[in-house]
Amino acid sequence: MHSFRHTSNETSHPRRGGLLIFVSVLSIVAVIAVRPARCEESPTVAAPKNRAQATSDVSYEPTVQQIVKAKCLKCHNQRNQKAELDLSSSKGILKGSESGEILDRQTPADGLLWEMVSEGLMPPDDEAPLTAEELASIKKWIFGGAKFKESAGTHPSLTQHDVLPVLYLRCTVCHGNRRREAGLDLRTKAAMLAGGKSGPAIVPGEPDQSLILKRIHAGEMPPRRKLVSVSVKPMTDAELKTLTEWIAAGAPEVSDQSPAADSAIDDEDRRFWAFQPPKKHAAPPIKDSQQTINFIDAFVLARLQAQGLTLSAPADRATLIRRASLDLTGLLPEPEEIEQFVNDTDPHAYEKLIDRLLASRHYGERWARHWLDVAGYSDSEGVQNTDKLRPHAFRYRDYVIRAFNADKPYDRFLLEQIAGDELADYESAQQITQEISDNLAATGFLRFAVDGTFSNITNFVPDRLEVVADEIDVLTSSIMGLTVKCARCHSHKFDPIPQRDYYRLAAVFKGAYDEHDWLSPERKAGAPGSTDRYLPHVPSAERDVWEKNEQRITKQVAALNQKQTATQRQLTDKHLNERLLKLPEVLRADLREMLAVPEKNRTPVQKYLAEKFEKQLRITPDELKKLDPDYQKLSDEHDKQVKALEAQRKPEPLIRALWDRGEPSPTYLLRRGDYRNPGPLVAPGVPAVLNGGTSRIDIDPPWPDAKKSGRRLAFARWLVRREHPLTARVMVNRIWRHHFGQGIVTTLGNFGKTGTPPTHPQLLDRLAVEFMDCGWSIKDMHRLMVLSATYRQQSHVTAEHQQHDADNRWLSRMPLRRMDAEVVRDTLLQIARRLDPAYLGPPGKVTSRADGLITSEHSEQGYRRSIYVLQRRRQIPTILENFDLPQMDPNCIERTESVVAPQALLLMNNALVHDLSRHFARRVHKQAGDDPQQQIEWAYRIALGRTPAEQELQAAEESLKQLTEAWNRATEKQDKNRADVPPIRALESFCHALMNSAAFVYID
Amino acid sequence: MQNQMNHIPNPSRRSFFDSVGSGLFAAALSQILGRDLYGSEDPPSGHARRRVHDLKPKPTHHTPRATSVIHLFMNGGPSQMDLFDPKPELDRRHGEDYFDKIAGEVENPTAAGALMRCPYKFAKHGECGMDVSDVMPHLAGCVDDIALIRSMYTVNLTHEPALYKIHSGRQFSGGPSLGAWITYGLGTENQNLPAYVVLDDPLGLPINGVQNWQPGFLPPVYQGTRFRATGSPVLNLKPDYEQPDEIQHLKQDLISRLDRVHLKQRPGNPQLDARIAGYELAARMQLAAGDALDLSQETAATQESYGLNDKTTESYGRRCLIARRLVERGVRFVQLFINAQIFDNHTGLENGLKGACARTDRPIAALLKDLKQRGLLDTTLVVWGGEFGRLPIAQLPADKNPKNAGRDHNKNAMCTWLAGGGIKGGTILGTTDDLGFAAAENRISVQDWHATILHQLGLHHEELFINHAGLRERLTGVFEARVVDEILA
Repeated sequence: MHSFRHTSNETSHPRRGGLLIFVSVLSIVAVIAVRPARCEESPTVAAPKNRAQATSDVSYEPTVQQIVKAKCLKCHNQRNQKAELDLSSSKGILKGSESGEILDRQTPADGLLWEMVSEGLMPPDDEAPLTAEELASIKKWIFGGAKFKESAGTHPSLTQHDVLPVLYLRCTVCHGNRRREAGLDLRTKAAMLAGGKSGPAIVPGEPDQSLILKRIHAGEMPPRRKLVSVSVKPMTDAELKTLTEWIAAGAPEVSDQSPAADSAIDDEDRRFWAFQPPKKHAAPPIKDSQQTINFIDAFVLARLQAQGLTLSAPADRATLIRRASLDLTGLLPEPEEIEQFVNDTDPHAYEKLIDRLLASRHYGERWARHWLDVAGYSDSEGVQNTDKLRPHAFRYRDYVIRAFNADKPYDRFLLEQIAGDELADYESAQQITQEISDNLAATGFLRFAVDGTFSNITNFVPDRLEVVADEIDVLTSSIMGLTVKCARCHSHKFDPIPQRDYYRLAAVFKGAYDEHDWLSPERKAGAPGSTDRYLPHVPSAERDVWEKNEQRITKQVAALNQKQTATQRQLTDKHLNERLLKLPEVLRADLREMLAVPEKNRTPVQKYLAEKFEKQLRITPDELKKLDPDYQKLSDEHDKQVKALEAQRKPEPLIRALWDRGEPSPTYLLRRGDYRNPGPLVAPGVPAVLNGGTSRIDIDPPWPDAKKSGRRLAFARWLVRREHPLTARVMVNRIWRHHFGQGIVTTLGNFGKTGTPPTHPQLLDRLAVEFMDCGWSIKDMHRLMVLSATYRQQSHVTAEHQQHDADNRWLSRMPLRRMDAEVVRDTLLQIARRLDPAYLGPPGKVTSRADGLITSEHSEQGYRRSIYVLQRRRQIPTILENFDLPQMDPNCIERTESVVAPQALLLMNNALVHDLSRHFARRVHKQAGDDPQQQIEWAYRIALGRTPAEQELQAAEESLKQLTEAWNRATEKQDKNRADVPPIRALESFCHALMNSAAFVYID
Repeated sequence: MQNQMNHIPNPSRRSFFDSVGSGLFAAALSQILGRDLYGSEDPPSGHARRRVHDLKPKPTHHTPRATSVIHLFMNGGPSQMDLFDPKPELDRRHGEDYFDKIAGEVENPTAAGALMRCPYKFAKHGECGMDVSDVMPHLAGCVDDIALIRSMYTVNLTHEPALYKIHSGRQFSGGPSLGAWITYGLGTENQNLPAYVVLDDPLGLPINGVQNWQPGFLPPVYQGTRFRATGSPVLNLKPDYEQPDEIQHLKQDLISRLDRVHLKQRPGNPQLDARIAGYELAARMQLAAGDALDLSQETAATQESYGLNDKTTESYGRRCLIARRLVERGVRFVQLFINAQIFDNHTGLENGLKGACARTDRPIAALLKDLKQRGLLDTTLVVWGGEFGRLPIAQLPADKNPKNAGRDHNKNAMCTWLAGGGIKGGTILGTTDDLGFAAAENRISVQDWHATILHQLGLHHEELFINHAGLRERLTGVFEARVVDEILA
């Protein structure tokens, strides 16, 4: 039995039936963190605890020891330490688990061990439970003081690994890698002994003699008034005690042998379908196989036939071209394109259409958006009210669009995004090629979490760890399809992901994401990348253009200034002479000389002269302007010219990137996810369950003498190995979801035990294998899916469908789908011919109105496509937000689809949509002239890609007539002579209604 | 998932208002319109079904004591030792240097001054003898109806994360807000008005802007809807361009006709029904919202009592009165914000805090009395508080003049009060240390506070959850939380 809850307040609340999820634990986790991770809490004053008195004297051996041996050691032995717990010795018991100590000596009932066994949570369901007698013995022992006869080594001795995490947390920002105040480095024992300016920091065995403790006790370190400026908090009493005890014990060190051993993953864990490599299943035999076009149809049809269903008839061509165009490019087919396709007699007309759509650059603009969702793309930092912009983030967006358009193989796409900085030596490259630059732009993938660390007060270690956690979440949910984030605070409760494996992943990223060596998300003074996250490695050609422009401006400004200075000098001199003329001649030469000498170099005589005459002689530039109206004019003109030139400066082209800095700090498991509660040291590695049971992967520097750890590159290469059970599956499932409305695994980000099992497991596997076989080509996957008979079905729902496939999980039809937010906006702009065709580049601006309406700005070319509109967290254009553009938290694995009244209000009442309807009407009028029926037909053709049905035409004609009459009445008074106005207004109103119709926003 | 079960609507005092939009649409409304949203979620096993998320009233987990909430959010962090928590020890040690003792808890160390006493006078009020300082004279008359918690604390001393914490239980954006959770769990009783209404200040948005009432990973139907106190109350409620009403109606008719043809050709697609309903709701909301916001229906005496005739109190008074009218009409959750952060008294605390209270004290007291008099206080939970408290030491302004001193943020202690909706009036819970720096006895966390609010509404904080990205997400998250039953009637 296994409680789903994180909390353990059974004492205050009776257990509720609806809450408990009974899960067969299948040896997933042994001891879980039942108590919550109060990691964000730091109560300054703790409530006093009742001290329980030991009532009797019962020792562990031999009774309890035997029970533990029989019932617990299978999982919690020295070798196979589930949840970091070794119950085979008193030392192990006292050391505790990944959640910390398991015995509570003050309040025995609160101890984790007692909690787990007394509540029946341990042993797990599939193991023999404790008998009542056994439980009684354990109770007697625990409440009797939990004593051991064997007392040797009962208290684990301190090592450097107890002390180093504290020093990293409180000291090394000033006494470590990047800064070494007073010459002191506190990152190793040797360095502490070497000490700094004032001598050794520690004297082993002599706490009283140790300088570090003296300074801390004196309240001098860390310096109180500087805490916030380096985002450090003072050492806690407990930390100080640990440090003192370690020094007192002679500062013992253990050799840095390989840190924690492999996590306990057994074969049974690995047997779960999603942890097995995909197999290339043959398509099942099908009755009535003329319906099938490719293997997708065979798998789908076989399942349908098992339900007594079959594929629906193919959709007509007008429906198909609208569906495929919106799906692949996010834009509507133009009326001519529809006409051409509908009348194309070529048997490969549809294939040609798909090829044309995939070759369109609008394809990349559409499909990049899906990827930006999983990456959590945002043009702002979030967190603070200012919602700071990320002016360089768009380079990542452009990279993704270009990658999709170029059909960059998915394995390469991942390598670049996860470890682009370790793919090529950009630092010593003579020439920055597009490829090198792309490698770095791609790493922006891991730079999109909400991030407040640009400000000191939100840049403490726990704030940074939140960013790291979000990035690990983005990576694992989007690419690996696992809820790895659960293992941050405790081993995953359902999937075999031990907490240790989570911190192994954290160690993989430590070279770039080191909470003790942090780069600011804000551009800082100094060279890009020295203390911030920006690199100047855009393609050399682009950089040259920028530099040349800068140089040109600097040169021209200098020339202007020079000319201006000369003029000024000349005129000043002229006026000075006039003033001097008024003074006795004998003084003139001396005064002139005095004025030329800087104040501090003057002789006593000159000083005297200065005191007397300088004020009346000295002519400042401002004075000169007053004296000389011509100069005033010249000066104004000069300022104007300089300003105009300066305005031509462009921001330095930079890449918001992620790169390995070569010296990651050590990674410790954090018990309950709490940064103040470090556990064992861990090495970089991967989830063992996905790697044949071991976490180890080979890590080498990416090139000889590289100042990079190579950790992420090794990880990325591991991720795209053919045997990886998840990478290909997760991606083909995502592509499938966008084509067919729901994934084969509907939980796109959770392929684990709590995810949904695949509806068509063999099809999923086959697609995954085909994906790898075709060189990870995403476009090939589109072709496979979009060309299938399954995709070409019509979307009509029959009574049979409702009875046997109400959810459409067996794909008995294509689902009717609403346009995504971007598609709604882009197609409204498209039919009004107000869509700016510009490709890539800095984001289009948005403005907020006082009442909260947020709109995008436009240029002469029109409005930019939605993907290019600024994605500022606090300023999402209302139209996109209303149609479910997600908040990135930290990313969006799958959008929700809402049908809410504000959507109607917006499409009806918003000024922009209304304005677009007038443009749309103008276009219709140009095509159709004044004939109402022609107008209706053309409006349908442009907006819906088809001609109106009888009933629609009738409704539209009646409405146009009524609208014309109404506009007649409304405009009677103002525009007596303009008989043509009412019909145009009526057409506009009609077009506005059509933009509001369900037929427009829904795709058959 | 209990809160998703079908329900039988209970006729209630408020059903009168449900019938505002009666007629032909009413049946369609309760069946279709309420179901505003189709979201998907992942159950722990089995195949995911697309689930309809709606605003229809839902069954509670246990018998509720309150059916509506008015949350009076005091942006900025009201100072506990200057309003509700007198500290004689602080008076005595005024001027003593204390910074080093709390260095890690001070946001602006360079401006940190010595211990600073409260500039106001405290007195005991009501039968319960609650201490209230003299800047809240009106509330002082209501203390027997409120339960004061003096021992609340939070986890972050910066506005943004602290606001997220108090509003959504997490320190980052992206979590559903309290109001979103409540409407997700309970639905609402008036389908013509939004379930969750935010009355923000016409002078400007609070810190974190609209993210304070975000639905996060809950479906967007649970998002707070901003009602503006003047002008068109809802964004896009009326055409943002010139057009005769007649044209608007003709367009609506045409859309309705075309959509019905479209629907008829596509049976079995419930989202199309919902869409038609959405358009109809949009039209009706214009009427219902206008009615709720029409304060001319109130008597002169009522308007006077809320301070509508006084420039200082007019704005907040108006929102308090609207809040009552919304709750009366069955709106589930009403949240009031104030522009900027008038309770963020870093400098000039003496005048600043007094001014903040002057704007809010009278309207709030009027609201409590009005609700009580109308019998609405029994079922309306009124909650007052900010995002954190303030430090016992002074924060000095640039000129270092202690006369203009204020107080910096403090996450370790804050005051909050609750009233109505099954709360035991006149309760004073918890203590802080001698200087008011940190909550001491009966420490109440933000999640305890959340759990208590949910509890009064008949919801259990551990049972109100949604499956999101493989986790059962709750308002109280993974944190231990308890219902603060000491303050319950």
